[in-house]
Formats: sequence, C-alpha cells, structure tokens
Amino acid sequence: MNLAIVLVTTAVLALGIILRLAVVRSLQARGNTGLDAAIRPIDVEAFRNLINPAEDEYLRRRLPPAQYRVVRRERLRAMAAYVQVAASNAAVLVRVGEVALASGDSRITLAAQEVVNDALLLRRNTTVALARIYLALAWPNSGFAAVRVIDRYEQLSGAAMLLGRLQNPAVPVRLSALQWM
Amino acid sequence: MLQAHSFLWHYLWVAPDVLLLLLGVLMRRRGLHRQFPAFTAFAFLGAVEHLVLYGADLAPWVTPQNFWRIACAGLLVDIVLKLSLIGEIFSHLCGAYSSIAKLGKRVIQGIGVVLVFVAVGAAAFVQRDNPSWLISGEHLLEQTIFLIESGVLLSIFLFAAYFHLAWSTKTFGISLGLSISACVHLATWAVIANGYMRDQRALLDFLNMATYHVCVLIWMYYLLLAREKSPRASLVRLPEHNLEVLNHELERLIHQ
Repeated sequence: MNLAIVLVTTAVLALGIILRLAVVRSLQARGNTGLDAAIRPIDVEAFRNLINPAEDEYLRRRLPPAQYRVVRRERLRAMAAYVQVAASNAAVLVRVGEVALASGDSRITLAAQEVVNDALLLRRNTTVALARIYLALAWPNSGFAAVRVIDRYEQLSGAAMLLGRLQNPAVPVRLSALQWM
Repeated sequence: MLQAHSFLWHYLWVAPDVLLLLLGVLMRRRGLHRQFPAFTAFAFLGAVEHLVLYGADLAPWVTPQNFWRIACAGLLVDIVLKLSLIGEIFSHLCGAYSSIAKLGKRVIQGIGVVLVFVAVGAAAFVQRDNPSWLISGEHLLEQTIFLIESGVLLSIFLFAAYFHLAWSTKTFGISLGLSISACVHLATWAVIANGYMRDQRALLDFLNMATYHVCVLIWMYYLLLAREKSPRASLVRLPEHNLEVLNHELERLIHQ
C-alpha cells in the first residue's frame, strides 16, 4: 500500500503544481503592467568589492580564524542578497524582453532577443552562484568567485539600455537608469 | 451507470478518440501538422490505437490473452509517440532561447534518466495484482510510463517557470492536457498495479476515461479556438530615485 500511496500523493502534488503554474502563466499573460516597479537597484561596484578575492585574502591574513569565518559568512550572506536581487531583475527583464519582442519593429525585436538571452544566462549564472555561496556558507574557508555573475549583469545592462533606447528614443535618461539596476 | 459496458462507458471510450481523430484532421486542414508533427501523429495513431483496443474488447473472437497482447503493443506505440511529443513540446518552448536551450535539454534528459531508474525501482517493489504476468505486466508498464511522463512534464513546467519562458498558446495547451492526463493516469495505475480497489476497478476506468476526454477537449480548445496571446508592448519605466542618482553621478563625472 505504501508505494501506491507515495505514487498517488506524488501524482496529486505534480498535478497541483502544474495547475498552479498554468494559472500563474495566464495571469501573467493578462497583465504585464508594473514590470518597471519590479526592477530593484543594485550597486554594482559595492557588489564587485564584496566578491573581490583580494579583500577576502586580506581579511584571512588579518583576522583570527574564528573571527574570519564569522566575517566571511556575513559577507557571503550579503553576496547572496545581491545575487538574489540580480536573479529577480533578470526574471523581470526576461518578461520585459518578451513584451518588446511583440513590438513588430525589427530593430527592437533584435535588441529584445539579446536582452532575453542575456537575462536567461544571468539567471542561470545566479542559480549557480547562489549554490556556490550556500556551499561556501557551510565551508567559509573554501574559495569562491561570483565574477561571472557581475560580468553578465553588466552585459545585460548594456543590452537593456539598447532596448530602452530603441523603444523610446525621446527619453534618453531611462537608458542610464537601467545601468543602476 | 458507472459499470463496464454501460452507455457512459461506451461513450467515454469512443468519444474522446473520435474527437482526437477529428482534431487531427482539422490540424491537417489548417496546416498545423507542419508545426506540430508529433502531436498530429499522436492524435491519429493514439486515437486509432484506442479504437482498436475498444474493438478488441467488444469482439467475441478476441481472447482475453490477445486483448492484453494488443494492449501491450499499443503501450509500446504510446511510448514512442509520447517521447516524440515531449521532445516537440521542449523544442517549441526552448527553441527561441538559444542561451538556455542546451542547458534545458541536459536538465530534462538528466531528469528523464533519473525517472527511468525511479520507475524501474517502483516497478520492482510492486505487489503483482494479477496471477497472469501479461495483465500485471501491462499494469506495471502503464504505471512506469505515466511516472516518467508526468515527472518529465512537471520538470518542463518548472524549468519554464523558473526562467520565465513564454509558452505559445498551442504548446501550452498540448502540455497542459498531456500533464493532466499523465498525473491522473499515474495515480489510477499506481492503485491498480498495486492491487488495490479490486472491486471498484470500473470507477478507476471511468476516472481515466473522463480525464482523457477532458484533456482532448483542452487540446481542441487550445489548438483550434484559442488565440495566440501577444503581450502588449510597453516601455520600461524605471524608478525615479535611480535616475536622480545616475544624473548626480554623471554631473560629477562631467565636472571632474
């Protein structure tokens, strides 16, 4: 009986998840407003400093091992918070790109395609980076680098700026704002 | 009413397959078979396979042994059709996203391999529900197929949700119908293959057939009636305070 119960429960759960995702998808398709508000700013330079291995090495040399582990964990938690915001922004930019893809203008479509692809790569990288950060939280002395995330983030900002410029050439100030996501 | 060979039983066995054949014909007429060749093949061959099985159930000259042999052969055809259909769903979903298509393929293939092992493991622990290996084997095969199918479809939905991939309406409809069918069939076949509810098998058959009927209606709606939803193009408005910060920084840069 146990196996049957496990399989029936699994099937019901899977069906529940799929139906929920289907509902979420239809709700998203209906309303794409408010995407702009979902983008949260990231101080890229501060994040770059946080992931700088030289700073970690400096702290490792200057602090006693126990204190270093405490500081390292705090820095890793801060890193995780940054990466989560980057991941969330990437998800919003995928949707922004999808909306722009429907514009019909070939230049906007190309730029939007680039934004979508960069945002997806960023989302993939943030997933890997988060996994590594959580691993590093368990073993603070292990090495870690999230440089690829920040590089991808800057590349994505550039692509999003181009898309913004194509969508609304009259409002150039919007372009630069994206750089500060 | 809820008994084998009742009017409802005949209707639920035949109607979905006739509708599926009709859907296949309409898809061909509208040229959708070029866009969804695997689903069109699934519609035609799946419906024919079920109707053959229905005929075999009614025909007095078909022995029970032969009926189960036909059922097993139909399942083997089902495996091929469903594998190609899942491949088609995935290529429609990820085809436009070159940056993660490879990753998606690897993830789904990996999950598929794990599910095969899980399904084989589950089959190994099943208590046979019938002394005939042909019948219990067919039940086990059903459980195994639907376990893998529902797991792979769930992972495709989760993958798409995680990366916020946009489904086309038709691909979404096909996936939704297939997933509902796979999950309900997994539950019922798990109960049957493990030898439970022996006295209420007809109820489980009705549940399977009714679910399949609903799924065929879902496919008909999404493939023939539903319009492709195109998102409204809108501009990205960004928070004001960011603009101020950036402008301040730019002014500082200019005056340096």
